[in-house]
Amino acid sequence: MKKVLSLLLCIALCFTMLVGCGGTTNGDKDSDTKAETQAETQAETQAAETKEADVATEADVETEADNGIDMSETVKIGVLVADVTTAEALAFRSYYTQYIQNQYNVEFVYSDALKDSADEKSAIDTFITNNCKAIISFSSFDRMAQIDQCAKAKVYYAVATGTLTDEEYEKVKTNEYYVGAIGPSLDIEYQTGYDMAKYYLDKGVKNFAIFGGAVPYYTDMHIYRVAGMLAAMADATGADYQGAKGPAIVGKIYETADVKTGSIGDVNILGYVGGYDMDDAWFGKIAEVAQTSGLEMILAVGNGSDFFGTAVNGTDVKIASVDAYADSYGAAMDAGILDYMAGKFSASIGPIFAITYSAALGAPIRDNDGNAVALGQGYWVATSPEQFKEYYSVDNSLDAPAYDKADLDTLIGSDYATLEKFVAAYTFDEIK
Amino acid sequence: MKSNSIIKRVLGAVCIPIITFLIIFIICQSRGIALFDSKSHWIIFLRAVASVMLTTFALSINLNSGRFDFSIGAISLLSSVISAQICIKLGLPVVVMLLISIAVGMLLGLISGTIYVITKLPPIIVSLGVTLLYEGIAFAITAGYGVSFVTNYELTSFPSIRNYLLVIVIALALIILIFDYTSFGYKYRSLLSGQKVSINTGIKEIPNALGCYIIAGGLMGVVGVISSTNTGTIQMSLNFGSIGVMFTAFLPMFIGGFVGRFCNEKIGYLIGAITTAFISLAYARLKVDSSVQQIITAVILVCFLIYLNNEKKIFKFKKTKKE
Repeated sequence: MKKVLSLLLCIALCFTMLVGCGGTTNGDKDSDTKAETQAETQAETQAAETKEADVATEADVETEADNGIDMSETVKIGVLVADVTTAEALAFRSYYTQYIQNQYNVEFVYSDALKDSADEKSAIDTFITNNCKAIISFSSFDRMAQIDQCAKAKVYYAVATGTLTDEEYEKVKTNEYYVGAIGPSLDIEYQTGYDMAKYYLDKGVKNFAIFGGAVPYYTDMHIYRVAGMLAAMADATGADYQGAKGPAIVGKIYETADVKTGSIGDVNILGYVGGYDMDDAWFGKIAEVAQTSGLEMILAVGNGSDFFGTAVNGTDVKIASVDAYADSYGAAMDAGILDYMAGKFSASIGPIFAITYSAALGAPIRDNDGNAVALGQGYWVATSPEQFKEYYSVDNSLDAPAYDKADLDTLIGSDYATLEKFVAAYTFDEIK
Repeated sequence: MKSNSIIKRVLGAVCIPIITFLIIFIICQSRGIALFDSKSHWIIFLRAVASVMLTTFALSINLNSGRFDFSIGAISLLSSVISAQICIKLGLPVVVMLLISIAVGMLLGLISGTIYVITKLPPIIVSLGVTLLYEGIAFAITAGYGVSFVTNYELTSFPSIRNYLLVIVIALALIILIFDYTSFGYKYRSLLSGQKVSINTGIKEIPNALGCYIIAGGLMGVVGVISSTNTGTIQMSLNFGSIGVMFTAFLPMFIGGFVGRFCNEKIGYLIGAITTAFISLAYARLKVDSSVQQIITAVILVCFLIYLNNEKKIFKFKKTKKE
């Protein structure tokens, strides 16, 4: 009896680990990043689990592209993810595992949540032993080490929903195994913050609070978004932030990884919260800021309504966020809590898949100088519940996503000019 | 003589929170900040007291018996997920959410305890496995998206001074009643002082252990409601991400252990929770960076442990010096 129960417990634990890592799709695959033996066992389990999906896939997908590229062999693509639980990460995962995987002869192998660069290295090792031909990375602890490791193993590597810094790009742009990056560049992040703040400054809002998200951890994209917000305030008032204006504000934030409250001309930053501590003290700070007398707007670099939503109850304070199109944000918009959403759309990772897949099939796409791709892609901005619903319905669709197979087919084996034009037309109106 | 003893015990019991409060008060005053400036500060303070006190009870119930339970955070997570999902779907009030969460927490505690008593594996191993199990179930139930009810004003109406005070008073009274005035509590304390002797006298260890797991689970169900109704969201945790909840209870547990020599140990845990809540509120009011917070908290904990471990030596040294 005891042995049976012990065995049952072990099985339950194994099942839980798979559930925790694997989401709900039968076409989804995960890999343990900790040990090769575990990875092999897991790969076998996953293969069994996804057999049904694979059969369907093989029957439906084309084995040759219009331009003659042989697509008959299943290409395994590893996906590095630092985050597995946010709405954004889950939407991206659904798009790959529930749409792309059913359209193309590919198999996605996901990593567990990664905590640091050592985890990244271990996960890449696992992908390599799983015979992945390419890796798409959503994890940015040490991009350069990731690229180096992939290049040594002759595995293609691509950055999703982000870009490298200029210095990093210079170092790796000629590396044949570095496919490139498509996502919001830091300039776009800056502009996103700028546009958000300007939207309210133009409406006459004077009293702001800022949620800086991962600014205390020196996360580039959040620093650039906040810098854009502050630059918009400085431009609107003719004043400066700590002696800096425009993009120079980025440097000011990097100095302290903090945002100083106070005035920029006649605009006031009444409160600031950074980090994701999620302890009593942190939620105390959130409540403090949200309840500040005279506050009109909270500009958030991340999921603002999740953290400030209840804190602004009973006030006229509105929230503007940068995140993804998730159901909860729609409810927050309907309730009048969330007023502005700059959101990544889940299919935005379609083009980076297309060029990575293309490279794995032997048709890499390089820029006009033969370098890796580095293209910026922005957000969809919704400022009303109706607009949010329209965007959400498209973003949430697995039958007709924003970038469907017909769209992505035009990129596989194409040239840089086609890709550049395709990525540049990212707004909702341009895509639909 | 007797009144001297009472004064000594009262002073011993309240000295730590009073000293903590005075230090924080002086720091806040020097920076022109009032610690309690509005109603929301009392809510922040009482929420911290309630959640930390309940977590400390839940942790200490099993830890005092040598059962290290890592799964209390996962129980809190899963019970709040289930109760919130039910209440959102059926439009039920927050009181029902609290009751469902307690019931689910007790059931999860029972499952955890049953696995332990049947397998007889070390509790630390069982609780790690159960943590993964419950985190995975919570993840699967919500498809990984967690639960958001920011716009459900009924469920987010729970945070209030009255509700938190009620939770603190009722939980403290129930815990004192169960552990100090029932045969279950008598057996629990008997097992604590000498397991072999107690078992030889006819006390059954297994039902007692199961009871402890059930009570700890119920308490964590309340903690789940307190934390989820605060933000209106429940974020998912995987790969032991929920274990962090447990660590909030260590400092108050050690403080409670120290204060317990002057008063009831359960009241000691409440005093420990009040002390840490003062510190949390001070962090919020003084806008202390999280990195600095961690350093301060760690230093306080280490200093306190150093004192506890060397208390006899310190008094002996003082005594020798006097002579």
